[in-house]
Amino acid sequence: MNSPSILKQLKRDRAFILMFAPVLLYFIMFKYVPMFGIVISFMDYNLFKGLGGSEWVGLKYYQQFFDNRDALVIIKNTVLLGLYKLLFGFPAPIILALLLNELRNAVYKRLVQTVSYLPHFLSNVVVASMLLLLLSPSTGWVNRIIEWFGFPAISFLQEAEWFRTIYVLSEIWQQVGWGSILYLAAITTIDPQLYEAARMDGAGRWKQTLHVTLPGIAATIVILLILQIGGMLEVGFEKVFLLYNPATYDTADVIATYVYRVGILQGSFSYATAIDLFMGVIGFLLVYTTNKISRRLGENSLW
Amino acid sequence: MNRKKRFSLLGAILIASMLAGCSNNGGTNVTETGTNTPSASPESTETASAPDVTLRLLTDFKDIYPPKPDWAVWKWVKEETNITIDQETWTGPESLALSIASGDMPDLFTVFPGDAQKYGPQGAFLDLSEHMDKMPNVKKFLDSKPEVAQRMTSPNGEMYHLLNDGLGAGNLMVWFYRDDVFAKHNLQPPTTWDELYETSKKLKELYPDSYPFTFRHGVGTLPAFGPQFGVYPYMYEAPDTGKIKYGVTDPGFKVMVEYLNKFYKEKLIPQDWLSMDYKAWTQQVATDKTFMTIQYIGQIEIMNSQLQNGAHLKFMAPPLGYGDKAYIQKADYENYGIAVSSKTKNLDATLRFLDFIYSDKGKDILSWGKEGETYTIEDGKRKFLPQYKEPNDLRKELGIMTSTAYGVADFEASLSLSNENEQHSFTEAMKYQFPTMNLTPVLTDEERSGITAIEEQLNKYYESSVAKFIIGETPLSQWDAFLDELNKIGAQKIIDTYQVALDRLKNNIK
Repeated sequence: MNSPSILKQLKRDRAFILMFAPVLLYFIMFKYVPMFGIVISFMDYNLFKGLGGSEWVGLKYYQQFFDNRDALVIIKNTVLLGLYKLLFGFPAPIILALLLNELRNAVYKRLVQTVSYLPHFLSNVVVASMLLLLLSPSTGWVNRIIEWFGFPAISFLQEAEWFRTIYVLSEIWQQVGWGSILYLAAITTIDPQLYEAARMDGAGRWKQTLHVTLPGIAATIVILLILQIGGMLEVGFEKVFLLYNPATYDTADVIATYVYRVGILQGSFSYATAIDLFMGVIGFLLVYTTNKISRRLGENSLW
Repeated sequence: MNRKKRFSLLGAILIASMLAGCSNNGGTNVTETGTNTPSASPESTETASAPDVTLRLLTDFKDIYPPKPDWAVWKWVKEETNITIDQETWTGPESLALSIASGDMPDLFTVFPGDAQKYGPQGAFLDLSEHMDKMPNVKKFLDSKPEVAQRMTSPNGEMYHLLNDGLGAGNLMVWFYRDDVFAKHNLQPPTTWDELYETSKKLKELYPDSYPFTFRHGVGTLPAFGPQFGVYPYMYEAPDTGKIKYGVTDPGFKVMVEYLNKFYKEKLIPQDWLSMDYKAWTQQVATDKTFMTIQYIGQIEIMNSQLQNGAHLKFMAPPLGYGDKAYIQKADYENYGIAVSSKTKNLDATLRFLDFIYSDKGKDILSWGKEGETYTIEDGKRKFLPQYKEPNDLRKELGIMTSTAYGVADFEASLSLSNENEQHSFTEAMKYQFPTMNLTPVLTDEERSGITAIEEQLNKYYESSVAKFIIGETPLSQWDAFLDELNKIGAQKIIDTYQVALDRLKNNIK
């Protein structure tokens, strides 16, 4: 209990505090202050009456969302799209990193790395129009190839069952290279002696990967997994919005696009906030549970 | 203990920043109607006395005439009213809502009537009916056009926007075809949808990699096809009964979907019709990939000026699909308006601007420009200078007849640049207009909030189901189940709501 007084501590750590200040300010200004906006989900919010003048309506808008026949479909779409993205999108950069690690030709390795992370810098608008061109049933070369093999052309973007595949695959294509950077960095920190020891014990490449490299980056994998589960429900608005059309609403309409149509285009701000808050709560529960499980298993955890 | 203190520090910062946020909000409310020099007389078109004011304007963005800051229309406005217009444009359909929500509202907005009626009662827009004494020219215009005035008036008499007038003819969606290709193969333009099908089949045989018939607004094109089958897809005043009708439930609508399904299956329409944009459409028309299409009337000449090697587009009468007369959408009215922010600090200048653009002088200058600068007078008739070749040049180069750059426009100005082919299209198109407008009557705020949620569900279900019927994913045998489902969602409640509104409107006119 003889720790120095807070003033002394402040004085001692002033350099750190100064460096930390912009970040703190950022979070307060842009993350915490706007959070008070969630109260409008419990009000009949009128932009011009403001928070003080709008009427409190309790859970009316939550009720309205669950009375909506589309609510379950939209939630299901969001969860499934997020889940598939995680299921297939999460291992992809790990595999790429492991493969890159095995490459011995430095020039080739750099080339692959560069090429694979370039798509990360393309905006979703560009990616969406590329997909529209590539997958077009009349002019797209994907369909040219399918037809060349003697199968009929597929209207990929008009068939609801194709939407998730297209979304997840393009998402992997965009993010795989970028995602592998962290894992490659983690791999370089593994002690080379471990590999030598493994070789002495007669382990081949495959066994080395399995028993040295993978355990070596396990901590990174777990942390990233927890983070990604938190973001699972944040299915990107832009790409879905640019790729969907009435024929694919069944699988493509997600929370973000629904909120856009109802909340912003029709100006029901309270309703939109209610839906978003609800999804936020679910997202938080997901992170919390994963973290708990991870800690139970004795691996790393966020807190 | 330390920890506690630190938390309280954090708390203090949080509270302080919250307070800052609140007082900011309060601050914007204080700005009341600016009391500018009251010197301007009611008929204020004398520049000398008018104060120099800059007004911010938010308009939509059009690809075919992207706004330029040096457009001559804004210069003329400045000369006549001493008002500088600072134009901003939408980045998407959500821009208007976001601009209102942000609190940083421009003085003037280009709006659709629906938006004006939605945000007006909430307090975003000024009730212009209270300021008519300051706008004698607007009042004169409204008195002379009661049917336009009625469409911009809310149920309780408020007027949250002013509608444009004069250019309605440009909104017509018409059929046109490649008359050179038809002549080459000795084909006649189809007069019915059956003939449309037969002709498409023949063209498909002649040009196997073409899609003879194209349209580009996806499911949104159906309101343009509907009148050939005697209906609009959504709710409108039926010409025969005078009651609100939900077009989807009409047998004619089903026939239309059957046709489109047949066209899709046999690849007579593009297989990606749901995701086509303007660029894709242009490419198809320009590269002999399509020969019949439906589009805004002005596009005939815009495309003709790009076509080469004798390729040519010509107006075509709408083919009959069901019933006894083929129509096109009634569209010779304008569905765009101008709203004034309730928070404007330049109320007097804003009203002066509106009064000017609805005045006879404003109409003349903003439609024709100025003598010597844009036109000359030959044999007592005005003629635009030779660098303006087609109607779109006026918009693109001068800003004439673009959003909020006019109140009432003189269509003659635009038409004087049209060639014979285009003038032919306009006179022909006028003959085929559906008797009633594809519009729902104005609702009160309460009525609207009572149906918004159902309406969204209904439209989503309608759109996705119809799209699936057309691409054949749902067999047409399911049609009755589809209609049942529309009822289950609550179509009747919406019909009833609009019926109440329509009755009220009719009572008000009497």
